[in-house]
Amino acid sequence: MQKILKLTVILFVVCAIVAGVLGGVNEFTKDRIAEQNRLKTEKAYSAVLVADSYEAVDFDAAAFPTVDSISKAGEAGYVVETTFSGAQGMITMAVGVDTDLKITGISIIKHAETAGLGAVAASTNDKGVAFREQFVGEDKNVAITKAGGNIEAISGATITSRTVSEAAGVAVCAVEALG
Amino acid sequence: MNIKKQFTEGLVTNNPVLVQQIGMCATMAITTSLFNGVGMGLSVLIILTCCNVVISAIRKIIPGEIRLAIFVVVIAGFVTIVDLLLQAFIPALSAALGVFIPLIVVNCIIIGRAEAFCQKQPVGPCFFDGIFQGLGYTCVLVLMCVFREFVGSGRFGGGLIDIANGFRLTIDGTGGGIQLFPEEFGAAIMNLPFGGFLTLGLLLAAMQYILKKSAEKKEKAEKEVNE
Repeated sequence: MQKILKLTVILFVVCAIVAGVLGGVNEFTKDRIAEQNRLKTEKAYSAVLVADSYEAVDFDAAAFPTVDSISKAGEAGYVVETTFSGAQGMITMAVGVDTDLKITGISIIKHAETAGLGAVAASTNDKGVAFREQFVGEDKNVAITKAGGNIEAISGATITSRTVSEAAGVAVCAVEALG
Repeated sequence: MNIKKQFTEGLVTNNPVLVQQIGMCATMAITTSLFNGVGMGLSVLIILTCCNVVISAIRKIIPGEIRLAIFVVVIAGFVTIVDLLLQAFIPALSAALGVFIPLIVVNCIIIGRAEAFCQKQPVGPCFFDGIFQGLGYTCVLVLMCVFREFVGSGRFGGGLIDIANGFRLTIDGTGGGIQLFPEEFGAAIMNLPFGGFLTLGLLLAAMQYILKKSAEKKEKAEKEVNE
């Protein structure tokens, strides 16, 4: 009985120390991380639709559960931020939609896809850029070629390509629903 | 336990991947470009060294029954600290390695070294053990990356070397690498997990062959001396 008490206390102390240190590091880094994330989001937004400022607008969150936010990008249109399930984990993506409900660009902010395959969708290399450029000018019916659309899927990453296309389509619908 | 012996052990005779055969899942998953290999290898090196030192320092007050639980807490703590610091100060590297960092918590090299080495040895040797084992791990990753990248996509140094704007190293993983032959001619299967198994198998076989040869040579030399 005494032994188990001793073990519990030691484990508790170790965990408490580690938790304390982590709390300190978190406190020290959280402002910088928030700032970095804001910069990253802004960069992703301007990559899909250039505007001086981005202003969040209200939308029907119940009808579009995968849409995180919609921001009005000046007079040019809207930037939709959406989080959806990819092949390996959740993907967060910004989609630019102009006033004619055409996609102006997509940019992947966060993902956990397989390196070398699905991760190409977010990569800055030629293949990644070529994949994302296919979305420019597409409308809400955007789809990969296997599903009857125009988007050439990344080889070895059909699921990633499919989910990205579907989410881009949903983003256009969400903007359409704004009226 | 001297430093030279630890160096040879970490890199060759007791290499974490090729001889101890631990930490293989991450090894196969990430070795698709040189950038991934170097990044993952160095992250493991840093975290392994920190964990080794701390675990060695507290080894006398850890009761045997709960040592594994404590190792895991210490390792997860360090991984989270490195993750947060990278996010705050080197966001580009964090974006590129973001997927791999949490994987280090379950990389059995770290818990393996804690269990096999650090709970019995003083801080000094554990520090060097972390560095050399980490280096040994990094070398294997780099070897595998270079091989898989070359055969799979005809490239060298993907993500790490940028030649489009003059020759330079890129720490944010955006470099295109050096294209040695057109990508279409590469065996893309080497970039898939299958290629990882194949490369690792070849490396393991080569390592075992070399170790066996050198052991035989040693035996023969000893025999001659005895006669």
